[in-house]
Amino acid sequence: MNFAPRYLGRGSWLARRDPRVLVLAVVFFVFAAIQVWDIRLVALLLVLALAYYRSARIPFREVRRQWFIAILFVSLLVFGNGIFASGRVQRLPDGAVQHIYGYLPLLGTPISAESVTFALTQFLRFMAMIAIGFPLAFAIDPAAFGVTFARLGVPYRFAYAIDLTWRFIPSFAADFRTTMDAQRVRGMDLGERVGGPLARLRRQVPILVPTIVNAIAGAEDTIDAMDLRAFGTGRRTWIRELRLDPTDRVVLLAFVALFVVATVAGFTTSSSFLWIPPFLIPS
Amino acid sequence: MTAMSMQRPSIWAVDSRVIVYSAIGAALYGVLVGIFKIPVPGSTAVDVRPAFALVPFFGIAFGPIVGLFTGLVGNMIGDQISGWGLLTSWNWSIANGIVGLLAGLAPMMLASMWSKGLMNKAIAGAAAGAVAVVVGFLFVFTDMIKDQMDFSAVLSEEYVPVIIGDLIATIILVPVLIYAWEPVKDRLGR
Amino acid sequence: MPDRIVEIDRLSFRYRRASEPALIDLSLTIDPGEVLLVAGPSGCGKSTLIRAINGLIPHAYPGELTGSVLVDGRPTTEQKLREIARSVGTLLQDPARQIVGATVEAEMAFGPENLGMDRSEMWRRIREVSATAGIEALLGRETANLSGGERQLLAMAGILMLQPRLFVVDEPLANLDPLTAARLLSTLRHLADEGHAVVIVEHRVEEALDLRPDRVLYLDEGRTKYLGNVAGFLEVADPSAVKLPFEVVLQRFRNGPVGAAAAAPTPPVLEVGDPARAPRLEFRDVRAGWGEREVLHGVSAKLGAREVVAVLGPNGSGKTTLLRTAMGLTPTRVGEVLVDGTSIAGRSVASLATTFGFVFQSPSQMLFARTVRDELEFGPRNLKRPPEALEGIVDAALRRTSLDSLEDIRQRPPLTLSFGQQKRLALAIALALEPPTLILDEPSAGQDHRTAALFMREVLTIPGLESIYLVTHDVDLALAHATRILLFRDGQIVADGPPGTVIEDEDRWTSCNLRRTSLIRANAHWRSPEQRFLDTEALARLVLARDGSASGNGRKGDSSVGAP
Repeated sequence: MNFAPRYLGRGSWLARRDPRVLVLAVVFFVFAAIQVWDIRLVALLLVLALAYYRSARIPFREVRRQWFIAILFVSLLVFGNGIFASGRVQRLPDGAVQHIYGYLPLLGTPISAESVTFALTQFLRFMAMIAIGFPLAFAIDPAAFGVTFARLGVPYRFAYAIDLTWRFIPSFAADFRTTMDAQRVRGMDLGERVGGPLARLRRQVPILVPTIVNAIAGAEDTIDAMDLRAFGTGRRTWIRELRLDPTDRVVLLAFVALFVVATVAGFTTSSSFLWIPPFLIPS
Repeated sequence: MTAMSMQRPSIWAVDSRVIVYSAIGAALYGVLVGIFKIPVPGSTAVDVRPAFALVPFFGIAFGPIVGLFTGLVGNMIGDQISGWGLLTSWNWSIANGIVGLLAGLAPMMLASMWSKGLMNKAIAGAAAGAVAVVVGFLFVFTDMIKDQMDFSAVLSEEYVPVIIGDLIATIILVPVLIYAWEPVKDRLGR
Repeated sequence: MPDRIVEIDRLSFRYRRASEPALIDLSLTIDPGEVLLVAGPSGCGKSTLIRAINGLIPHAYPGELTGSVLVDGRPTTEQKLREIARSVGTLLQDPARQIVGATVEAEMAFGPENLGMDRSEMWRRIREVSATAGIEALLGRETANLSGGERQLLAMAGILMLQPRLFVVDEPLANLDPLTAARLLSTLRHLADEGHAVVIVEHRVEEALDLRPDRVLYLDEGRTKYLGNVAGFLEVADPSAVKLPFEVVLQRFRNGPVGAAAAAPTPPVLEVGDPARAPRLEFRDVRAGWGEREVLHGVSAKLGAREVVAVLGPNGSGKTTLLRTAMGLTPTRVGEVLVDGTSIAGRSVASLATTFGFVFQSPSQMLFARTVRDELEFGPRNLKRPPEALEGIVDAALRRTSLDSLEDIRQRPPLTLSFGQQKRLALAIALALEPPTLILDEPSAGQDHRTAALFMREVLTIPGLESIYLVTHDVDLALAHATRILLFRDGQIVADGPPGTVIEDEDRWTSCNLRRTSLIRANAHWRSPEQRFLDTEALARLVLARDGSASGNGRKGDSSVGAP
């Protein structure tokens, strides 16, 4: 598994944007998307998100696994919510009645045109939010995270901690693999699936403890190295210059507008209520 | 003769030490959280995530700020690595951060127990971590607003499963980590 | 002198949690243009001295300090780290931990950013420093993908960016191949010639002398044993504590008995058998690697059941991968690996662990248990050894590694053991599975000259072992202890034979990026061809014996110091 932040979108249109745009785009988009419940509009948001995602030119081959997991998670979440909500469907227009197809065996949860629409809407929205979020990991220069958050108002020490986190990930992943190998040569069977959850949890101890204790014990040198180069002792500059060019401003404005429109529409139109496609309603 | 002595800075001070431990916690959590998940038989929703124990442990060992960062940023990174997206579940990241923050207050609040040997420390750590999990994850009820989820759906599908899994990880692994780390800590110069 | 960079007067320091002071009554001055070599075994107080000069003591490490340290004429206690950082730049021992930036530029800019430097000035310095440090080709790379040597050079560049007056360098040669080491040393020499000062801490004195230090400070157990010019140092240094050039050791032997080393026996050797008859391990045209990268490009070799085989070669040439392949840790893509005559295809790592005790470089990467006993029982339990046998297994493993002499060793938490004890525990862990063969990955890593040699001797005298295969970059250690050398380059074996034979082809040796040490030259000069390669002390004693019998008219009997 590759844990390193991979700059797969390097050179693409989106990667050339000021990275603050990418962060703010996600924020405005997520807050816009969670207000919209009309499936037609959510589908539109998904199309927008996918277009945005495409502009990062992330090779699909490299992120297949991530997409697969995301889709799996979303499906489980949406499906689970449908079951546990016991048929109560949120965001229905006042006074709407449910058109029930039947009931789940054992649980007795009703399946209706409305609950199916709710689930589909949620599914599409999650996919849109995920597509918007991908470029954060793959189209921002890994060295630019710190300055990006610093210039978004995060105190510089914490902004730097984000840089440092990305810096540590590949090293820890390598150390983790070494520890796994070191325990395998002691006869540990990593693939063993027997026993209850507690037994299986205990079996992870030989892997987790060395990985964690080593990482912490090595911190001393890193702290020294930072202190010796005067970290946190006064005003700090960043070598990376961030400047919003006209395109960045347009993109940013577009996302702000999206958020404003979604909010206003939520109060003035039916966009914040479910819309049931007529073909789902049994006659 | 100039005999120098130094006092530990307050638990809210942000020095290089706090920044480095924060980054280490977040990176470890981000890397390890996705790797082993242990399903609990008889339940589809409950996963024990061993790496979750890092969140309360980093809070307990290095203070509330480190705990907050470990939970918040570590969860975002774990989500990003798995493909879920950095901000898709931002409220869950905040919940993780709260757990770390609360656990970080434990040594202060349980000061009397803290000074009475390793075993007491381990027990106090597990207890503080458990309380932090139960309280911190209340924040995921924001999904009722964010995703328009039903209260009972959040409760039975999200809150209860996640705290069961994370309580198991916390109660078992936090003491193990305290036992492993404390003797090493005493050998370092700082 | 107003221009003096560092002035230390009667400095003593004790760490907060320590009972003994780490540094006692040390006085020292450092002037511009000076190169000071600080030598001494592990634990001699070198690191504490570095911290006292760069201000980490007392600013980051609490403890009891007496005496004074002046940097630029002002006490470090009265300066902020930010101010000291402008005068003193420190290169820490492990570059992997010193580097905080995700990219090469980010790492170089880190110090200047913290001092609030102008962006244009930062870029100007990056251009300048990358040329000085010879790392222009690295610009734009991510630091996670750099090799150990590249990291060391980058860490150095990160310090150069701050243009300090004094460079403090902590054991920079530990992880470097000769080429990179030479480059780093020439950068440091150049800085000194320009009027900067350099403090280099190194127990590999032989290599550090290439820097032409002006003075040497020799520390042992926190006390100053010697402070003065190089010639005087070479007369007093303990050859078993620091690595001295062979000629120097020989001269010392001629002048009379030398420290504890005089009594040290020649390293024992396991009984050697014919590898071709019944090989323990056989590679048949093996290709292997990780991910998309192939590291071994067709390797064939037979390693005997009774041999000490050392694998030497440049970093990244596939040395470790070769032995990992034998253990099933790296999958074989093409070809076949045979253990005791049968293919390992389909065998688990666990089952191979009863043939090969594989000892990783860093012991702490596997220690997890609460007690040494639990740690030692882990392997045998995994292999379902009967519970009643465990106690005997633990006892035997502790005895074979001489750990049983430590009080209460069974109940000690493994991570509280010293580094040397952890190394021995790692051996004991491997031995607990009762393998006939040990595989050691970089056994001398993290140890100084004395402890590395001692450790190797201990390994070779473990009772009941048939063979040892090791990967190392410590040339002298390998040549003096192995019965056979595999020379590796670019994933292929370029030479295979006894140490004395493998070093004969000088071009091949240097093309594998290996150093022709003074010991190799001296062996070539003094040793007769049928003799095995000798370590420093054995060779010195041989020469002394010849001195006595031939008194100047025998073959190669002239007493001039080893050929260059």
